Amino acid sequence: MRKFALIALMAFATPALAEDVTMDSTLGTTMQEVQASLTAMGYEVRKAEMEDGMIEVYFVRDGKMGEVYVNPQTGAVMKLELKS
Amino acid sequence: MVAIEQRTSGRASAREVAVWDPLVRLIHWSLALTILLNGAIVEEESKAHEWIGYIALGLVALRLIWALIGPKHARFSAFPPSPARAFRHLRAMVGGEKTVHLSHNPLGALMVYNIWASVIAVGVTGYMMTTITFFGVEWVEEAHEVIFGWLLISVALHVAGVAFDTWWSGVNLVRAMINGRKTIPEGREVQ
Repeated sequence: MRKFALIALMAFATPALAEDVTMDSTLGTTMQEVQASLTAMGYEVRKAEMEDGMIEVYFVRDGKMGEVYVNPQTGAVMKLELKS
Repeated sequence: MVAIEQRTSGRASAREVAVWDPLVRLIHWSLALTILLNGAIVEEESKAHEWIGYIALGLVALRLIWALIGPKHARFSAFPPSPARAFRHLRAMVGGEKTVHLSHNPLGALMVYNIWASVIAVGVTGYMMTTITFFGVEWVEEAHEVIFGWLLISVALHVAGVAFDTWWSGVNLVRAMINGRKTIPEGREVQ
């Protein structure tokens, strides 16, 4: 019983341990790579498009939404907008 | 007594009639301003864009309430949404008739409802884009843009219709929406 509770607690706590996308993240140089990176980090990927020469991806996680702009040459995050 | 009634409802000499109350005029020009601001001036993904959109929705909501409780010419009953009436009006114009309508003419009325419906649809899809359910969902964004495009076409047709009716009926409609009064040319049938 105790063990079960511990496992349940760990399962519950896991999403909070998921890696967040930050200005230091490297997400990939193609739209597919960026989408895959975000998905692996637990984000639900919405729209993805090229905007001003950058890869722009809309994502949602834990009731929060945001947009990330990635430089397709380096794979680095250039701009990160988090909304409520 | 009969003669006086005929003067107010039928043919009479040139005269001014108060038709648009201050609230109708304020809503009209404010709504035009919100469309101009959000369509051409304010940045699309800004908070200002969202607030201007909500103001536009509020203006239409207020106008719809006013169409229930406001003065005679502002009410739904003065300009019912009727394609049949619009068609009869069109046929009468082709026949050379130049009847003056104190409220919106039947064709103008359809445009009014079309513009209000379009503003509501643009506002609702815009709000949806800010919710977690529809954030970054492509069809919502596309609907928002396509309906806004339709709204711009509608505004252009509306302006063209106003210009045409001003020329055809001889009543300066832009001035009426500014000072609230229509000047009815002498001997003109009034509805």
